[in-house]
Amino acid sequence: MTQVGTQTQQPGPGRTTWEPRIIGFLCYWCSYTGADSAGTARMQYPPNVDIIKVMCSGRIDPELITTAFANGADGVMVLGCHIGDCHYISGNHKTMVRMPLMRRLLAELGLEPERFRHEWVSAAEGEKFSKLVGEMTEQVRALGPLNWPRLLHERGVGHGMDLKAWGE
Amino acid sequence: MSENSVKAQGSGNGGGEEPRIGVFICHCGGNISDVVDVHRVAEEIGRLPFVVFSTTHTFVCSDPGQALIEQKIKELNLNRVIVAACSPTLHELTFRRTLARAGLNQYLFEHTNIREQVSWVVADHELATQKATRLIRAAVARVRDLVPLQKRRIPIHPSALVIGGGVAGLTAARDLADRGFAVTVIESAPFLGGRMAQLDRLYPTGQRARELLKPLVDEVVRHPRITIHTNAELLQATGFIGDFRTTVRLHPRGVDASLRNAGAVMAVCPEEAPDPFNYGLTKRKAIYLPYEGCYPPYPAIDWKACTKCGKCVEAAGKAGIDLEGQPTDIEIQSGVILMAVGLDLYEPRRGEYGYREHPEVVTLAQLNRLLDADGPTGGKLVLNGRPIRNVGFIHCVGSLQHKGIHPPMPDGRINDYCSRICCTTTLRAATELKERFPELNIYDFHEDIRTYGRGHEAYYDRASQQGVVFVRFDPLRPPRVEHDPRGEAPLVVKTVDRLTLGEEVEVPIDLLVLATGLVARDMAKLVDLYRCSVGSDRFLLEVHPKLRPVELAAFGLFLAGSVQGPMDTVESTAAAAAAASKAAALIAQAHVELDPFIAKVTEEKCSGCRICLYVCPYDAISRDDAKKVAVVNEALCTGCGTCVATCPCNAIIQFGFGDTQVKSEILALLGRQPAAAEAA
Repeated sequence: MTQVGTQTQQPGPGRTTWEPRIIGFLCYWCSYTGADSAGTARMQYPPNVDIIKVMCSGRIDPELITTAFANGADGVMVLGCHIGDCHYISGNHKTMVRMPLMRRLLAELGLEPERFRHEWVSAAEGEKFSKLVGEMTEQVRALGPLNWPRLLHERGVGHGMDLKAWGE
Repeated sequence: MSENSVKAQGSGNGGGEEPRIGVFICHCGGNISDVVDVHRVAEEIGRLPFVVFSTTHTFVCSDPGQALIEQKIKELNLNRVIVAACSPTLHELTFRRTLARAGLNQYLFEHTNIREQVSWVVADHELATQKATRLIRAAVARVRDLVPLQKRRIPIHPSALVIGGGVAGLTAARDLADRGFAVTVIESAPFLGGRMAQLDRLYPTGQRARELLKPLVDEVVRHPRITIHTNAELLQATGFIGDFRTTVRLHPRGVDASLRNAGAVMAVCPEEAPDPFNYGLTKRKAIYLPYEGCYPPYPAIDWKACTKCGKCVEAAGKAGIDLEGQPTDIEIQSGVILMAVGLDLYEPRRGEYGYREHPEVVTLAQLNRLLDADGPTGGKLVLNGRPIRNVGFIHCVGSLQHKGIHPPMPDGRINDYCSRICCTTTLRAATELKERFPELNIYDFHEDIRTYGRGHEAYYDRASQQGVVFVRFDPLRPPRVEHDPRGEAPLVVKTVDRLTLGEEVEVPIDLLVLATGLVARDMAKLVDLYRCSVGSDRFLLEVHPKLRPVELAAFGLFLAGSVQGPMDTVESTAAAAAAASKAAALIAQAHVELDPFIAKVTEEKCSGCRICLYVCPYDAISRDDAKKVAVVNEALCTGCGTCVATCPCNAIIQFGFGDTQVKSEILALLGRQPAAAEAA
């Protein structure tokens, strides 16, 4: 597994150890701005979470999360505005309902629940954002690399997707 | 309706051309390049497919930086541009304009954040360089699927609806009408003036509130372009920016301008009810005038108190009073809407600092009515006929609440915010008391004093010089109010004074004034009708506190005054003027241009299932029953993308955030080859 995981990374010169790859879906108005405020305050946090900006966390289609896992992400974070602070009134209400369902679905597929995290981060919560990134990186690191196609293959699930594990 | 719809010109490949991507990586004068090896990033990105140019620049946002982008677009025929620099919140618009100047569609642009989200947060140079490379690689994958977009262009009816007839609403209405636009003001109460009419003297000038209000009201009521409806209730609203249709129910006033002997008519009324104008300190008749000089200048009937006995009709000689009037509904068309419904005062709980348990405990608003020369006591400081020697003020009643110390409000939240006006209002009242009644002892119990505005601190200095005794209590151990066991005064306030390093103090008090905070009004109907964003403090929420401070996220809605949060009269009028000027700037253009990142239904894929209709926070989607497909109203859509995520047929796309685009971004971040681009 470790060997397979290494191949999905792009280690720099002299670095061969595995690093968790985490995709973070952030709503623009609160969480993305929260990540910016962490930057403005020069809070240091691990570089493992790569941010994809969406206008509202309500845009985060479960399919985007599975796409990330299916293509080599070891973890996924979904961050949105706190309930009551949504720029789009109630977009995050849909997130609030979808994400617990998503977590159950991922568990059904054999994924450790720690690989998926859904939190509310306001534009002012840079500190919370950097703390979450740190926690997430460490909890995914503790689990080791995820090889989703192999996982599905082992469990005998999958429909039409390329079931070849990477490196095979 | 929109004149030009958002058009995705050409194929998913951007005008059918092969992508020619230019990448500009900013040093930000070292802010980025001290950590990220920008040259290595530029070199690696330059090797990616479709990237025809990749470079770095000390400050891409500078004039030479932007000139370089323009030059390269023309020279190399670039049709996609990526700038990797600070956060897009800072300069995305700057660079879109650069593209437009170079003749390229401004939406063929992507801004990658490698400062706030890379160089400032990742200390390790190697890791930061890798991360920047990944993010720009994702941007390259993403821009391949960009299509040229046009802004939505929507015509605007040259008119405004102002909801609320207080000082903010009146100021905004006057400003908009002066600029030549038709304005309708609706006020739920029978009289104009709102909270300001109830105030006595205003800091920082000490002028009388109603004397300041009068010329404004006169100006508004005489203005040829302003229509005023009092006793108005919001019923329904449809439409969108440029063409709102609001249905308002006008409740009967019961009295019209032909009533001649108002004084005699009010005198014969046998029914009395607590007078909210004096915060319940006095009673008023069921047919009443709140104060001398109000507008409209003739009485109104309080239908809750009126028994329709008919005595007033007789006294009026059967002219000018109609007890059987029925409400009428009217529709108001407007291009924009200004929210100026104001706020409410916090009503202390029974027993909070002895409120409603001891008659000696009043609110600051009530004290201001007592100090008012036109108030219920003619400005005399009288309470149950007792002489008053010791007056106490307690700050932050209903503000700066702490979890576990203060019981939550009915909705389960606590008012953890500062109400801003109460400190200065308290100190102004204290100084006035000292001036008018120098023999009074005044005690000011506070957890903090925030005299933040111009001229506010002077009240604090003055109060200190006049001998007001300041006692600072621990917010976690608020003062206790009890009967004075020695009988020296009706009450005693017990607390620990932090200014004297924890000394326990017991102060006998004859009159205790609670400086109550400000809370949002119940705006459920307004929020529901116009899809307003609400903050966690229950006040309406602006788009951005600095960038768009008086606009709501739904287009064409503006925030005028204290509907947005605690404000004093100075701030409220300033906010209202700002809202009026933003609204006027919008109306004056006759058209509005909106960002094109909206949702669009691919009719061939749509099954007509209606799920998107229910998830849209703005009711922007309807169903074309003839075609059996969903239709997005471009003027209402704000581009949140919730419907896109919801659609079970993947029939809805969001321009700029298409499934293909986001997926390409995911794949690129993970170092995988994006699948062949479908139409985004």
